Amino acid sequence: MKQRYEALTRDLDWEPSYVAKSDVFPHTEFEGIKIHDWSKWEDPFRLTVDAYTKYQAEKDKRLYAVLDGFAQSQGHLTLTEASYLNAMKLFLQGVTPLEYQAHRNFAYLARHLNGPGPRFAALCQSIDEMRHTQTEIHTLSNYNKYYGGFHNYLEQHDRVWYLSVPKSFFDDALTAGPFEFLIAIGFSFEYLLTNLLFVPFMSGASFNGDLPTMTFGFSAQSDESRHMTLGLEAIKFLLEQDEANVPIVQAWIDKWFWRGYRVTALVAQMLDYMLPRKVMSWKEAFELYFEEQMLGGLFQDLAFYGITPPKHVDDAIAEKEILSHQVYWTLYQFSHAAAFTTTFPDADAQTWLAENYPGTFDKLYKPLWDKEARNLENGGRHFVRGLPQLCQVCQIPMLFTEPDDPTTLCQRESVHNGEKFQTCSNGCQWIFEREPEKYVQAWLPVHQIYQGNCGGPTVPDVLAWYGIQEGDGGEYKGSVDDTNWKSWHNAADHSHIGSEA
Amino acid sequence: MQYELRTQVIDPPRKTFDHLVRRYGDRPASRYEEGTIDIQAKENFHYRPLWDPAHDIYDEAYSAFRLTDPYSFTDPRQYYYAPYVTSRAAMADAVAATLDYLDSRDLLSRLPDAWSSVMGELLVPLRHYESGAQMVSCDIARFGFGTTITQCAAYAAFDRIGNAQALSRVGIALGGGTAELLADAKTRWVEDASLQGLRRYVEELFLEKDWGRALVRLDVADRLVYGLFFAHLDDAAIDQGAGSYSLVAQHLSSWFADQRKWVEALYKAWVTDPGTGAANTQLLAVTTTEALAAALVALGPVAARADELVGAAAAASLDATATTIRDAVAALTA
Repeated sequence: MKQRYEALTRDLDWEPSYVAKSDVFPHTEFEGIKIHDWSKWEDPFRLTVDAYTKYQAEKDKRLYAVLDGFAQSQGHLTLTEASYLNAMKLFLQGVTPLEYQAHRNFAYLARHLNGPGPRFAALCQSIDEMRHTQTEIHTLSNYNKYYGGFHNYLEQHDRVWYLSVPKSFFDDALTAGPFEFLIAIGFSFEYLLTNLLFVPFMSGASFNGDLPTMTFGFSAQSDESRHMTLGLEAIKFLLEQDEANVPIVQAWIDKWFWRGYRVTALVAQMLDYMLPRKVMSWKEAFELYFEEQMLGGLFQDLAFYGITPPKHVDDAIAEKEILSHQVYWTLYQFSHAAAFTTTFPDADAQTWLAENYPGTFDKLYKPLWDKEARNLENGGRHFVRGLPQLCQVCQIPMLFTEPDDPTTLCQRESVHNGEKFQTCSNGCQWIFEREPEKYVQAWLPVHQIYQGNCGGPTVPDVLAWYGIQEGDGGEYKGSVDDTNWKSWHNAADHSHIGSEA
Repeated sequence: MQYELRTQVIDPPRKTFDHLVRRYGDRPASRYEEGTIDIQAKENFHYRPLWDPAHDIYDEAYSAFRLTDPYSFTDPRQYYYAPYVTSRAAMADAVAATLDYLDSRDLLSRLPDAWSSVMGELLVPLRHYESGAQMVSCDIARFGFGTTITQCAAYAAFDRIGNAQALSRVGIALGGGTAELLADAKTRWVEDASLQGLRRYVEELFLEKDWGRALVRLDVADRLVYGLFFAHLDDAAIDQGAGSYSLVAQHLSSWFADQRKWVEALYKAWVTDPGTGAANTQLLAVTTTEALAAALVALGPVAARADELVGAAAAASLDATATTIRDAVAALTA
């Protein structure tokens, strides 16, 4: 089997002699990574094209049957609540475009890596990522027909303030060299953080009656397990090829752990606040999927190569009980400028939060919500009318606190070419100062608004430029989605319901 | 008579996504459209590539070929991932059925010797040509402008590795179940005088930075290679009693017919573009003419070797294909 696979795939390569090899592969030297023997790259799956297409075609047939059945039976009415879809709005706006970015850049690896084994693995992943882009769009397309917030996700990914968090993350990876991309996406995103970034959405779907998304999640699982294996294989290969690669790879792990971890801030608040039926708390997910599985497992294995846990990992651990609360509190107050809605966590939700965050919720965050409860009683739901300052690296509003003090805002400043730049944390500051020429280029949404590049000077101008319509954002209660949801469910007397001819 | 199933009907407030409504009007969109149109990010890229700071992540300046609206081109096959893999799974089944049949009737070892040599010396080494075509197509998938184009290129890249694997299987079958003939074919690809022109053509193509020109240069070579091996020699094989060559050739020939559908549609979009059509037409004519001259030099020795082996007027067929391509160019600029 192995021999046959190698004959079919690997042996297709040859040494060019009419042109210089360094001209054929011009991108694999500038990063300083040394590769001595590309044939040492193991591809544990040894897929052939015929096996791949048959298996994938079968999976898609089943997935699309579920999507069609769900749409035909008005399955959206069986969700726990319309507000659940806020998680999916965030997913379509924030994650699906990243799948597409991955598709394009794995095609780049499939051209620009010197070895035929990794090129073929990258090509499989490239078209898998196209599959995920499209199956996610097709899965969520049916919700778009009935609910707000989905309809302009592509333009919003390029424009909206909170979506520049995932967009800048992936742009950062695409503009890096091929080896850094492998560590950034293949390893850090697909392996190290995938259970924190991707899986919570799928689990949330299964707990909230979202059969299509859950089915998509299961259907992507075998692809993802191939991608995880590729990521792990990539890092081991780089580390084994030359000792001089170890410090380079370590610095990339340090950078991409923190970069990816900051993106998970959006997931943390989704898990703890957006799901009507909770799956698990962010803290629990972080402890299980990151501390136990990665720090306790993966990094023990990588220690053999001289790799240590990521720099600033202690800062991440230290904020596991405060992260989701701080982020949601901010999004709650800015959701009038977002394409999802937020709402006040009711008594049950607050009980759940207090139980899951015994050390922090009652002490630090309940008082904020109590104050907001009084605002609501007086008819004054709170929105912030100003614009937040954004971190130069992760682009999240500067809402995080000092690692040892959850009541003091953390703000770091760096000077580059005489200009001052603000970052939200030690991790982001370190990333900035390592590559300032890169991060000064960032397209920061708030700066751009001030510079007049986002439709005009007023909030309505900017929202129009975002393509945000009535009902897309703001408060959930009384929103278009909430009102429609109730009227569709109250139609039990069938007076509003027709029948198909 | 039909029974009346009562279902809950809710008029959806929206038919599809905004970008599709802007483009096509307020109508339901197909899955191809929802999964393809406008997907590539358009603006506000955060950083420039470290390996090419002169360009944006997606940048129309990666090619001299331009479309005023990149989505004026759509894949005539309407392939998004699901129909693409479904179609390829069926193709793979057909190839497997052919190989099983050839194997069960021991047909490859019963080929006339000369045709056995055509397959071993010339056909099986094309797996390396396909592998090169995969790399070129991957570059187009990354640097092309607009998802309708890059999606076709990505699937084409995957097809090419599939073709290479199918040819490898033919080599294994021809080698009596061993990989010996594949090793032999690789040596031929690297050393045989008759194949060096083609190898050189592919290697030089790796250096083409303009994805549009790369696409045209690959397509010109493809038209000569596929015309020679999977149309002309296919006929000759049947005439000379080497039917099993034809059984193999049918699959590659039908793949190529499928491949050319999108390439032709892209050419058409290029030359009929109201803004950039004239410049694209010039470029297409010049690139095709240059590529054709080089590809004829590359393939001449291949055709000559085929003629030595089976006397099939392969060289003349190459010239005939070249004339067809020249006529198409002349029609463009007429």
